[in-house]
Amino acid sequence: MNYRIGKIEGIRTLTKSIKEYEIVLDEPINPEPGQFAMLWIPGVGEIPLSFADAETKRIKFIVARVGKVTGHMHDKLRAGDKVFIRGPLGRGFTRIRGGRALLVAGGYGLAPLYFLSRKLRSMECGVKALLGFKSDDEIFYVKEFEELVETEISVEHGSSGHRGTVLDLFKDVIRVERFNMVYACGREELNLALIRKCLRMGVPVEASFERIMRCGAGICGSCSIEPLGIRVCRDGPVIDGSMIAPMLEAP
Amino acid sequence: MSPDLEVELAGLRLRNPTILASGILGSFYGLMKRVEDAGAGAITTKTVTREPREGYPNPVFVDLGFGYLNAMGLPNPGIREFSVELRRAAREIRIPLIASIGGRNEEEFMDVAGRALDAGCSGIELNLSCPHVSGYGLEIGSDLQLACSIIKAVKSISSKPVFTKISIHQARPDIVSRYLGSGADGVTAINTIRAAAICVESMTPILSNIIGGLSGPCIRPIAVAAIYEIRRELPGVPIIGVGGVDGWRAALELILAGANAVGVGSAIARKDLQIFGEIIEGLRRFLAERGFKSIKELVGYAHRS
Ligand SMILES: Cc1cc2nc3c(=O)[nH]c(=O)nc-3n(C[C@H](O)[C@H](O)[C@H](O)COP(=O)(O)OP(=O)(O)OC[C@H]3O[C@@H](n4cnc5c(N)ncnc54)[C@H](O)[C@@H]3O)c2cc1C
Ligand SMILES: Cc1cc2nc3c(=O)[nH]c(=O)nc-3n(C[C@H](O)[C@H](O)[C@H](O)COP(=O)(O)O)c2cc1C
Ligand code: FES
Repeated sequence: MNYRIGKIEGIRTLTKSIKEYEIVLDEPINPEPGQFAMLWIPGVGEIPLSFADAETKRIKFIVARVGKVTGHMHDKLRAGDKVFIRGPLGRGFTRIRGGRALLVAGGYGLAPLYFLSRKLRSMECGVKALLGFKSDDEIFYVKEFEELVETEISVEHGSSGHRGTVLDLFKDVIRVERFNMVYACGREELNLALIRKCLRMGVPVEASFERIMRCGAGICGSCSIEPLGIRVCRDGPVIDGSMIAPMLEAP
Repeated sequence: MSPDLEVELAGLRLRNPTILASGILGSFYGLMKRVEDAGAGAITTKTVTREPREGYPNPVFVDLGFGYLNAMGLPNPGIREFSVELRRAAREIRIPLIASIGGRNEEEFMDVAGRALDAGCSGIELNLSCPHVSGYGLEIGSDLQLACSIIKAVKSISSKPVFTKISIHQARPDIVSRYLGSGADGVTAINTIRAAAICVESMTPILSNIIGGLSGPCIRPIAVAAIYEIRRELPGVPIIGVGGVDGWRAALELILAGANAVGVGSAIARKDLQIFGEIIEGLRRFLAERGFKSIKELVGYAHRS
């Protein structure tokens, strides 16, 4: 069996629809930021989740309530419960050495970028993070980011940070600052808009994508970004912006 | 001169004997294109049915270490929507495209096959062997009369070759010759084998469907026996050998047993698409080293001893 056994060590409520799970595994794993795991809860289901942090046997997931499995996690999981993990799977972010990196996250997309900023910081990169939220009561993890890197937030409907979308904030920031690399994780529209903008400016960009996953092993075809034939579970989830370029014809 | 890997399969010309097995990446145009670019000789599509099918919930796939277990539940968008992918693939992909067809009765098989042929596929594979979907696959295939009437019906509307994909249970020369008697142009052997896995830690089955199909290296000896026996009794039948092909040696083993071409399936989980190039290069090297001019000389070679 290819599952590792995980024990829920702690659960933290971050917003009304997002929780953080700290899990201790039976054996250490060594994921790269951007890689993901398939988390199986027997009798409930199995879903892909990005590593929000990992340190030998200790891993973290940040989980938004969506449907069956995430709903079960929010409502039923307690400290001490067991879950099963296969991974790390897929391809993570390529880390720059030195230079300045810009991280752009929408909602729970900040999960893999938090893990990334921890690793980038230890590589002496200058890092700035832009975190986008829909409303004041959906803001989370800002303190955690601020402890690591320079952080700005945008809120679409609210009074904190910059008013507007994280894409608006991104456009303002890159008007005045230069970066060697942009890392993105958010809804597909956000990822595509960021990639389009970065490619135009000649800034390297990587973004983490989502598709419905089944095998997680690169063989069933369910997670393909068409018509490019890019498998999110194997070729991604982190994909170089230039690979996505053919999808960006429309403005 | 470099040895010749081209094979002929019931009228289809393949640049080399590797074929993407059904259910592996053959669900979208973009993926099929990548498989062509990786070097495959032909492509089999995911099994498509008349109506869309969601498939089973996760978990649907288990890596057992010595093989793989899957119970996808034949997820597919239905032939109407899939025709769009198939049409584009037929237009832009040059290697033969074999459409895998599933159904619950003769009428469904006819309908799906008709639309796949309209979309431009180069051949048809009838899935009479998927072991874990109620009302489909093996449940249809184990009724010999029904299977024969489906083959006859599809053959009556197809000018393209029709292959019957079989399980170990149908891998008997007497059954295969009934299929051929009904008009089948060849057989694909074998599909996955009914199997299950239980997690001892949670003490529950792993697959949501409980029962799945076993594939990978552990089923190769079973595929080899099936292919060998069919080849021995039916020397002329075109055979696509499938089961545990994870490199050029495994591909060669199936060819020596009697396969004209070999399907590559779950090994892609470990080796990814480079496996096609690896098999092609390995076969070419082997032929050159042993002084053979063409891979065709090795089809069923093990029967000589
Ligand atoms: C590589 C990857 C990393 C991910 N990382 C995280 C993470 O760190 N944190 C997190 O909260 N979520 C993450 N997700 C998303 C998460 O996997 C889904 O929210 C989860 O699978 C939903 O399962 P469910 O059983 O709760 O919902 P379901 O009951 O399965 O679904 C409810 C509804 O949501 C739709 N849906 C489910 N999954 C997706 C999807 N991936 N894309 C589009 N629609 C979908 C379904 O079609 C359905 O309509 C990630 C997804 C991928 C592919
Ligand atoms: C994930 C997966 C999905 C499959 N789906 C189909 C399918 O839709 N139709 C079919 O005829 N065979 C299907 N198969 C069976 C394969 O085509 C093949 O016969 C079997 O896996 C044995 O080959 P392998 O050992 O190379 O994987 C599937 C196999 C796997 C692993
Ligand atoms: S989930 Fe099966 S190929 Fe990606």
